[in-house]
Amino acid sequence: MYEIWLAMNIAYEIALSLWPALLPLALVWAAVMAVNRQKLAQVSGSALAAVSVLVSLAAMLALPSLSQSTLSDMGYWVDWTAFLGMAAGVGMAAAVLLWPVLAMRQR
Amino acid sequence: MAKNPTPTPTCASTPALSRRQWLLGSAGAAVLASAAPAAQATKTKTQAHIVILGGGLGGIAVANRLHALLDGAKITLIDRKEEHNYQPGYTLVATGVWPVSKVRDRNADFHPPQLNWIKDMVSELDPASNAVVTASGQRVKYDYLVVAMGTYQDWSLIEGMDVNAIGQKGLTSVYPSPEAAQATWASMDAFRLKGGNAVLTLPATPLKCAGAPLKMTFMLRDRLAQSGTLGQSKVTFYSALGNVFGVKVVNDNVLSRWKDLGIAVETTQKLQGIDIGAQRARFVSPEGASTEVPYDFIHVVPPMRAPDAVKNSDLAWKVGPFAAGGWLEVDKATLQHRRYPNVFGVGDVNGTPRGKTAATIKKSAPIVAEHLVDVIAGRAPGQKFDGYTSCPLIVKEGSAMLIEFDYEGRLTPSLPLIEPLQASYFAWLMKYRMLKPAYMATLKGRV
Repeated sequence: MYEIWLAMNIAYEIALSLWPALLPLALVWAAVMAVNRQKLAQVSGSALAAVSVLVSLAAMLALPSLSQSTLSDMGYWVDWTAFLGMAAGVGMAAAVLLWPVLAMRQR
Repeated sequence: MAKNPTPTPTCASTPALSRRQWLLGSAGAAVLASAAPAAQATKTKTQAHIVILGGGLGGIAVANRLHALLDGAKITLIDRKEEHNYQPGYTLVATGVWPVSKVRDRNADFHPPQLNWIKDMVSELDPASNAVVTASGQRVKYDYLVVAMGTYQDWSLIEGMDVNAIGQKGLTSVYPSPEAAQATWASMDAFRLKGGNAVLTLPATPLKCAGAPLKMTFMLRDRLAQSGTLGQSKVTFYSALGNVFGVKVVNDNVLSRWKDLGIAVETTQKLQGIDIGAQRARFVSPEGASTEVPYDFIHVVPPMRAPDAVKNSDLAWKVGPFAAGGWLEVDKATLQHRRYPNVFGVGDVNGTPRGKTAATIKKSAPIVAEHLVDVIAGRAPGQKFDGYTSCPLIVKEGSAMLIEFDYEGRLTPSLPLIEPLQASYFAWLMKYRMLKPAYMATLKGRV
């Protein structure tokens, strides 16, 4: 339980350091979500999945260098699990962020 | 048959989405609530005056915790420093991974409300009178004392050493300050372009972050390899001890890696003096034999001890392995002073078998705060601290080992899946991106 609480606090502190960028993004996203809420359900799951996969693949290429590391530094399965989990998380976050944008394009 | 018209969103579809979101949100809130440690239901009422010496991680973390646990206490913190430095980040600054701005903050930003901050240094401790004296002569009485004064870097024990010369003529050290760390990187960056003879040292005393000298060695070698000058370089680690790290399994692992990396090791060689202008270091063996070593780059680790105010007081160990350094005489399990029960110690100043790291404070500050509250409430301290220490041991840029151990030198990984002696991207990522946020949460008294 301590490790879960610690992880939550780490995430909170990281978010705190990014809030000048996160807050406007969240507000814009919420506004676009609200404006397009009637069309959200029209966005197909496959479209969101495609966005998620594409962004995950891009994240897999970018993530190591963003933390001054390389794919050759993946030492064992814990590294790969964390790395692939982060890439998948970035992909899913991108899908959530782009969901209202995709909805905007629905007629 | 007519095609179905495009469905018109109905009022029913919107509430269904809202209900799903509400259920997910409730589940998330339940997870958050269950994961948080049980909050203190009621604060302990007291009029006690608690004085905390030292405004580093330990002092401020305990201050924040006591503020949350006590109702009515007066909490005074004595430290002249206004800048707060994230010291675990110094090795990242000194090896060119981080900018120096990432290790600088302001102490005032982390103080609890109503903290009485005396911006002065402590010059004398008088535990028999429950008082401390500051450098300006102010006498401050206390009911309870928390000593969090860290270590004193005794540069005077290295003849010819000048901290102000760090960054010049290949002289470096990660320990003194953010500026020294920054100057160390500038020197390392210049050195790696041409290569040469590199010397790194380790004293015989306890020191804060015993892994830092090893990280500097690994990273120097990596930077030389990156620059293509490793072939014309020699990297030698001079340890004043018979080993390079106090936990045998880690020591052996590091020596094995260094052997593979071509890093030479000389043991029982204590740095006695340095000629900065001539770039020569003098080492002495236990038998008194002296060796002069020329260098192009030298990383110096100072011998460390307790600050004078502690060392010269009745709070220091009088006998035993911690007496020479004047370290604070605390019970290693409760961190309560062994002779003055209203005195506690947190952090590097403690005379305990291990534990001069930020991670030690992360685990021990809550225990110190709880024990102090126990004593105020008339209870015996209940928890036992196992000496948890952690060192993300960088082995190259992009890879580290996450070493965690206890007083007995047993490896104690926090997560059972972690292989402590495995060079790992995830361990590097923790050091690079997650440990400072964890430190901040510790500082604020939340973990």
